[in-house]
Amino acid sequence: MSKKKNTRSRHARMIGRSLVWLVVLALVLPLIPYALAYKDTVPGAVPNPGTTLWEDVRQRNAPVSGQTQVGGVDAGILINPYGETWRVFRMQYLVPGGAILAGVVLALISLVFLVRGSMRIPGGESGEKLLRFTAYERIVHWFVVALFWLLGLTGLILLYGRFVLIPLLGPEGFSVTASASKEAHNLFGPLFLVAILMLLAVFIKDNLYARGDLKWLLKGGGMFGGHASAGRFNAGEKIWFWLAVLGGIVLSVTGLILEFAILGQPRVVMGGSHALHGIAALVLIVVSFGHTYLATIGMEGSLNSMTNGYVDANWAKAHHDRWYQEMTAGEGSDSPAEERGAGDAPADGLARPVPDN
Amino acid sequence: MFPVPHQPRLKEGEQIMARMKFLCDTERCIECNACVTACKNENEVPWGVNRRRVVTINDGQPGERSLSVACMHCSDAPCAAVCPVDCFYTTDDGVVLHDKDICIGCGYCFYACPFGAPQFPSGAAFGSRGKMDKCTFCAGGPEEDNSAEERHKYGSNRLAEGKLPLCAEMCATKALLAGDGDVVSDIYRDRVTWRGASGLGSGWGIAYPDGDQTRRRGRDLDGKAAGGE
Repeated sequence: MSKKKNTRSRHARMIGRSLVWLVVLALVLPLIPYALAYKDTVPGAVPNPGTTLWEDVRQRNAPVSGQTQVGGVDAGILINPYGETWRVFRMQYLVPGGAILAGVVLALISLVFLVRGSMRIPGGESGEKLLRFTAYERIVHWFVVALFWLLGLTGLILLYGRFVLIPLLGPEGFSVTASASKEAHNLFGPLFLVAILMLLAVFIKDNLYARGDLKWLLKGGGMFGGHASAGRFNAGEKIWFWLAVLGGIVLSVTGLILEFAILGQPRVVMGGSHALHGIAALVLIVVSFGHTYLATIGMEGSLNSMTNGYVDANWAKAHHDRWYQEMTAGEGSDSPAEERGAGDAPADGLARPVPDN
Repeated sequence: MFPVPHQPRLKEGEQIMARMKFLCDTERCIECNACVTACKNENEVPWGVNRRRVVTINDGQPGERSLSVACMHCSDAPCAAVCPVDCFYTTDDGVVLHDKDICIGCGYCFYACPFGAPQFPSGAAFGSRGKMDKCTFCAGGPEEDNSAEERHKYGSNRLAEGKLPLCAEMCATKALLAGDGDVVSDIYRDRVTWRGASGLGSGWGIAYPDGDQTRRRGRDLDGKAAGGE
């Protein structure tokens, strides 16, 4: 009985749905010819020559390049529509977006510092030192840092100087500053590619994905309590490394395109390169805030690894336990610590790695 | 005969400054490039830069048209908006100029300008590019009018002498018009009307209905009958 009732109600529902569909189709189907006619805009009609000309000039349908006796980049193009796109991007997105992003990141870092303060080494300093970065690694790092901030500051002057520095220096004063910034940026820019490739060569070995990285990320790097185990570099440092390398390469390639305008690249390419250059630079700058924070006031005992090269054993145990185990495992002549220390005379008078047989 | 073009209503004693504009009539431009040459000569434009150029669309095909293009002296100029050192300014006549003492030659105006007006001068030592150069509407720069310094940096300042840009003044077919935007558009509107949009809109009788080859349509716009002169 109930089965029969179910079938009947199902039929009723089917009929109901069919009716709805019928109504919808009856309304929509007659519109199709109109839509097609609209799409083809009266086939066979004679186009208005004036309309065609101005559509070509405005590049509405396809890029049109005319003939001209005048040499020069894009001389055959009457109106370049991408100029406005680039202007909107730079003035309405890049400039305010970068400022907001930097402000938010700085505020978050300040908040973390206010809440957490400087992270102490658990158990205090043991006095036992481990060599974390060789002299060569430190030189490469500071080479990258020096160029990064030189190029970053000169770039920021060009991006924000009009709003921040003209009121302070006046138009003439800022012109000199901006001119010097541009020259320094162009002069030292190509070196950044060299620095980034050196960084890649020196640190790539320890920044490949290793087991445990995903776990470290899921634990949030131990920021919310609990211990997150890590090797020589944790997953966060690895992400920063790859971000710096890839971002650095994007910056270098787009920068070279922008710098050598004499090669005659079209304006579309230059505008696009500038957009990518700006995005990559601002992303690296804000992430570098986080890196700088954790390496200095955020975490006690970190900075030494990049100044004299040594970290405390307790620091290593807390933040890079698997690396600590590697370093202290052999305790023999072929221990990694020994290997790293070899040929790297600590001129600063600090103790060599303690296991000295 | 034709309605009086719209005139902005002015209050008692109020004056509006002219807004300088270029207009190129595609039905008249014959791609002779005299405007380009005149500009280069009059302003002693740096090597590698052409402040004005003639571009032909659909060259050799039906519908071929030529246009002379330079800085269009925009009301909301993109070059001025993106300049990192804010070196662009608009004169009282609506001419967009830049200060070469402040310009750093970054090229942002070159990326942003739809018309390709600001240009890099040819490469100096080590591929550095120097200050940008652009059409000045023959109005010089921020220096004292017609001083040697102004002439050296920006070229001629014909506006200060009460003359219009040379490119337009010497255009043989009067395709290129320059001057107060209202006047220029009146002239062009009048031309379009007299050329006519229909198939009958050509020929001697249409162009010179009274047999008066020197008739100035501008006078008729006061509302007088066209044949009243």
